[in-house]
Amino acid sequence: MEGNVFEQLGLNWKLFLSQAVNFFILLIVLRFFVYKPLLAIIKKRNERIQEGLQKAETADLRLKEVDEIAKNHLKKADQESIEIIKNTQQKAKELAESLQNKAEAYHKELLDQAKLEYQKQQEQAQQLVFLQALELVKKTIVKTVQLDPKHIDDAMVKKAITYIKDEI
Amino acid sequence: MIYDDYDMEEISLKAQEIFYIGGMGITNSLFLTLLVSLVLMTTAVISYKRVKLSPGFFQSGVEMGFEWLLDLMSGMLGGVKKAEQYFPLVATIFIFIMISNLSGILPGVGSFVIENGGNEVSLLRAPAADLNFTVAFALISVIFTNIIGMMAVGALPHISKFINFSNPIKFFIGILELVSEFAKILSLSFRLFGNVFAGEVLLTIVAFLAPYVIPLPFMGLEIFVGMIQAFVFAMLTLVSIALHTALHGEEH
Repeated sequence: MEGNVFEQLGLNWKLFLSQAVNFFILLIVLRFFVYKPLLAIIKKRNERIQEGLQKAETADLRLKEVDEIAKNHLKKADQESIEIIKNTQQKAKELAESLQNKAEAYHKELLDQAKLEYQKQQEQAQQLVFLQALELVKKTIVKTVQLDPKHIDDAMVKKAITYIKDEI
Repeated sequence: MIYDDYDMEEISLKAQEIFYIGGMGITNSLFLTLLVSLVLMTTAVISYKRVKLSPGFFQSGVEMGFEWLLDLMSGMLGGVKKAEQYFPLVATIFIFIMISNLSGILPGVGSFVIENGGNEVSLLRAPAADLNFTVAFALISVIFTNIIGMMAVGALPHISKFINFSNPIKFFIGILELVSEFAKILSLSFRLFGNVFAGEVLLTIVAFLAPYVIPLPFMGLEIFVGMIQAFVFAMLTLVSIALHTALHGEEH
């Protein structure tokens, strides 16, 4: 082999420098056009994903809170409805009692009125019967004794009537 | 001119010059490196305007790769912020070496030949099959990691890792550290060069012995090796960054 080792291996400072310069240019170009924008995009996307996860977590918490509130509201509404039903039942009971009392009072009043009316009618009937009896007695006496009614002794008639009345 | 006869292509340890610009010989390896750079830069510039918050297929794939590398770096460096800071260097090393290695297996690389000074030379050669490329990357890796170390822990504490007169043991360890930094340049560059160059040689020989079907498994192997070597190079740079940016006492 001829020449020194560097020459035999093809080492040449100009070529070596060219390779180094080429690498630096490539490094700068890739850094500006590839690494910087892509790493920024990856970072931004990761931030968004993190943000999205955080939001989802917050939404989950909020949903649980809302669920809890809804449950409480339902429970409260249940209690209120039970209370309302109870009150209504109580009021209905009271109303029914009051109506019953009123009806009973009215019934009593009607009964009293009916009694009074009955008594009145009975008295009227008695009066009528009495008058009819009087007439009947008069006629009976007239027919019996064949006397002129104008001459009938009033005292006798009255006595007869009283007798009949008592008999009745 | 396309290399179409059945003579085996001459295997050259060094990259061959294919043309000259201002007295400087442009080797086939440098030419492919420039092409790869151009493709990467064009793709970067075109995709720059198409970056969206809701990504498409291509962007999703790139982002997935980036996030994987970023996670790996965060685990090794101990924080996302630190990982993001050193991401461009490690990612560029990984992407560039990987694409360069894969470009070496593309059809046409090695088979297109031109005449230069009476000799037939390949128009394109895998970038990492040239020591200039691998040494340049190794030096960039070692120099950058040391600069990063100085910026992270301070110049004097960083230099004191290599030159320390406080006691003989630390002085000796410092010397070892210094030697290991130089060894790192050699190991990084020769590992990459050796793997890719050996792959090229293997493919050339297999293609010469059995041109059809048989080279396919070897090409698959070379794709794998190319990716693994890029990953190894990037990871070694990352480990070096992690060691140099760790404060004294954190290292072990």
